[in-house]
Amino acid sequence: MKSLITLTNLKKVFATDEVETHALSDINLEINQGEYISISGPSGCGKSTLLSILGLLDTASSGGYELNGHQVAGINTKQRAQIRNKEIGFIFQSFNLISELNVFENVELPLTYRKDLSKKERTELIKSALEKVDMGHRAKHFPAQLSGGQQQRVAVARAIVGNPSIILADEPTGNLDSKNAELVMALLDKLHSDGATICMVTHDPRGAKRADRIVEIFDGRIVDDTQKQENVA
Amino acid sequence: MFNDLIYAVRLLLNNPRFSALTIFVMTTGLALCIFMFTFINGTLTAPLPIENGERMRKITTLVDGTAYDGSTLRLHEYEDILKVQQSFEVLEVMGNRSANLNTGDKVLRYSATTVTPKFFELSQGRAQLGRLIGQDDLTQGSPNVVVLTHSLWQELFASDKEIIGKKVRINSEPHTVIGVTQPEYRFPNVASMYLPLRATTNGVAREDSPYVSVYGLLKPGVSDEVALNEVQTLFKQFAADYPKLNSNVQGYLWTLQEEAMGNGTKPIILAMQISVALILLLACINVGNLLLSRAVERNKETAIRTALGAPRGKLIAQLLWESGLICVISGVFAILIAGLALDLAMHTLLSDLPIPAPFWWQAHLSGTTILFTAVVTLITIILTGALPAWRTTSGDINAILRDGTRGAQSKATGRLSKIIVIAEVALSCILITLSGAMVNSVSQMNSADYGMDIDRYLTARVGLPGNRYETPEQRIEYYNKLVAKLEQDPNVTSVAMSQSLPSTWASYFNIAFEGVDYGKEPVYPSSNVIVVSENFFDTMNINLLQGRKFTSSDRADTQAVAVVTQDFVDNYYQGQDPIGKRFKQTEGDEKWLTIVGVINNVTFGQPFEFNLRKTDAFILYRQQPKRFMNLAIESKLDPNLLRETLDSAMVSVDRDVPAYNVMTLEKGVIQRIGGINFVSKIFLVFAIASMVLAFSGIYGVMANAIAQKTQEVGVRRALGADDVSIRRHFIVAAFKQLAFGLILGVPLGVVVVGLLEKAGMAKGSLEVYLGVPSLIAVVILVAVLLPVSRSLKIEPAYALRYE
Repeated sequence: MKSLITLTNLKKVFATDEVETHALSDINLEINQGEYISISGPSGCGKSTLLSILGLLDTASSGGYELNGHQVAGINTKQRAQIRNKEIGFIFQSFNLISELNVFENVELPLTYRKDLSKKERTELIKSALEKVDMGHRAKHFPAQLSGGQQQRVAVARAIVGNPSIILADEPTGNLDSKNAELVMALLDKLHSDGATICMVTHDPRGAKRADRIVEIFDGRIVDDTQKQENVA
Repeated sequence: MFNDLIYAVRLLLNNPRFSALTIFVMTTGLALCIFMFTFINGTLTAPLPIENGERMRKITTLVDGTAYDGSTLRLHEYEDILKVQQSFEVLEVMGNRSANLNTGDKVLRYSATTVTPKFFELSQGRAQLGRLIGQDDLTQGSPNVVVLTHSLWQELFASDKEIIGKKVRINSEPHTVIGVTQPEYRFPNVASMYLPLRATTNGVAREDSPYVSVYGLLKPGVSDEVALNEVQTLFKQFAADYPKLNSNVQGYLWTLQEEAMGNGTKPIILAMQISVALILLLACINVGNLLLSRAVERNKETAIRTALGAPRGKLIAQLLWESGLICVISGVFAILIAGLALDLAMHTLLSDLPIPAPFWWQAHLSGTTILFTAVVTLITIILTGALPAWRTTSGDINAILRDGTRGAQSKATGRLSKIIVIAEVALSCILITLSGAMVNSVSQMNSADYGMDIDRYLTARVGLPGNRYETPEQRIEYYNKLVAKLEQDPNVTSVAMSQSLPSTWASYFNIAFEGVDYGKEPVYPSSNVIVVSENFFDTMNINLLQGRKFTSSDRADTQAVAVVTQDFVDNYYQGQDPIGKRFKQTEGDEKWLTIVGVINNVTFGQPFEFNLRKTDAFILYRQQPKRFMNLAIESKLDPNLLRETLDSAMVSVDRDVPAYNVMTLEKGVIQRIGGINFVSKIFLVFAIASMVLAFSGIYGVMANAIAQKTQEVGVRRALGADDVSIRRHFIVAAFKQLAFGLILGVPLGVVVVGLLEKAGMAKGSLEVYLGVPSLIAVVILVAVLLPVSRSLKIEPAYALRYE
């Protein structure tokens, strides 16, 4: 499989007053195209920080980050924004839908930052994304009119609408009941089976097991990196 | 309850910057409100501080629809009204006279009021020494007597307790001092002494009727509408019976307070009240919004309290304690500031006024003010506390406890923020437009073009006593001598005479044009008609546009001639050559006046729109010599240096005739628009206050709204938005709110300015109408860009977790 992301000796240090906190230390990680990877670990271990750096939402203190063959560690904010827009799709624990926009507009949001799409193409992409998550019939609703599970499905549609290289999911079921959590996880399974690369942070062992590969982090270091047996075979 | 109060105090002390800001904003709003209420109440709306003062009215007139302060009625009209009127319990008259008082070594000019005994009853005048005017004093041929005002007695006679029975010479005739009024009695405000009113209509033609001021007490229960209707009906009858005298005159009623405040008072007061109400509303919105933002920050705390069983009423009461504390502290500061401002304002106003202030002007803090402050403070507590209290206690507790301030709250709060911004923009737009138009108007008045020079003249008014200067020849001789004497000073360039000066009223007459049939119920046009000396136009640097000026060949026994302004020609002789055309005044001297020249437009009276619209015609002094004239002495040097020259010339020509109102023309012009300047200063304060409140408010609301969207900024950036896109998004969103606010604010501002423009008190302009929205747009832009830039400095990963 072709390598999509390569992290080399990545470090993240927070300096607060006189205390230095090493959130991530010597992270070396490679994610391949089409892979479904789960990052797990206890609270405060650094998994969300890692996901933020992977999503170019935060910068590493040192180390290398190669995405699709390009070094992205030192690029400027404008380039980072462009890469986030085209290469990365985000799913957040708290959905992060914009309350003043309806479902259609929320899904449309990443496309509004692109200049290479006509309105018709945009509409088709949005409709297609909403159909994939079975939310086409709620396009005119606002987030406050939806259940948590429905909001997260809309967030998934928003993440996939631009056909990104990788979907980054940060505790996607953390705010959902078990039934809705199962629906969302099934949706991610489906996306993966259709060829999407997914990197998911979770501390739910059942959720983690659905991934092809489980990376375990403890105190900012990768302590385990296991491929699922059936996949290895 | 005590615990809630302590908690509110602790909250304020914990955040001193927030507390100082809210108290400053509310103090500004309340101080202006208290100031304006007390000022208006003390000068205009409070009943006169005399018995039945609330029922006292002056019957006056509107000429061509305009009310003039100091307007008088013919004695004939008063007597006709008295015979039939049903609305007034008492109706009395007084007249005004010029009194040249000879003190032995000099002659001083004062205003005298001619009155009847009943007038003192009506106005509740009392004598401190001696007695007041009695019925016997009114009889023709009875001894001349005078009652001095307390202030004149103090100033001129050093409070001489033996003054009663002493003789003083007034207008060259001996008068016996029979009384001195009580110190507080000053009715009307310009009077220095009281003489018996001996005017009569017996044997006097209606057009020669003496003019009097008519005051009355409305009968109990009779409304202003009923009385006004009756007066208007009577004047309609006068217009029908005497069209030459009354065709464009309507009856009108004024309270004394309205008369003292002058023409156009009502719209100004209304504008001030609107401004103050808007400023207070703006302050309430600002403080309410600041409290709201703090309440939103404390959402979780409120949710926890609710979860622990706190009743909604208790939560609301706790929030109201906070706004209550802020408003009460602000109220105390505001009343102190308003008290100081009132003292300063009254001092400024009184020193700007060309005449003494009315006796009832008492604008200082009183029990009424404190009661008003208490009521307004209570209203502000409710206004500022209600919104945060409602918002905070109506949220979804589960969502708040689960998600912090996010989730279900954000959309409603966002909508509320938008509404607040729109309201702030609309209010600010109205306020700043109004203030801008007022300041603009006064600025234009201060730099008004009167059509003649005003900067190098010493002016003075001269009134010749009727008993000694009865004939035209006597008057012409006096003024010829006086002018000749003045021109002996080598520093005097020229001496002109005019019945009126720029910024003083001119006589406004009905006129009729030759060859025009005005029908059986004639409605005549009107124009200012001003008597001037031959050299008036040259001395005042007025340009001749057509024909000729007055010359030495225009004499009393030659054709009566007139020079008119271009406006006069444009109004009455459109497309025709006016030279040689004739018109006449419809009352008094009805000689036909032949137009010999046309000059540039000039302005008499305050430079209000309705004065600028008036046309002017000039008559030669030699052909209509008047007893009262103004001198305009042009000087090569500072005109003030000619005062001694004037004094010695006056004494040498006739020592019993003093000059009064001696001042440079420039100062006279400034003084006569003193009231307007005062109003302008108040509106300037309004403008500054409203700008500070509006801009800080808009900035506060916008910045707060954007700060609450820090997480949204994170989301957008996570989805690929670059900094430019984020800025553009927020600017577009903000400008939509700006557009809504301006759609409401601009037309309302234009309407309010339009109302004041009709009264000549404001001047809207393209600069104001475009400048104000542009200024607000700039503030919005800054209010968006600064907080957005702050949000953009936060890495998206942290912005997403921002609470």
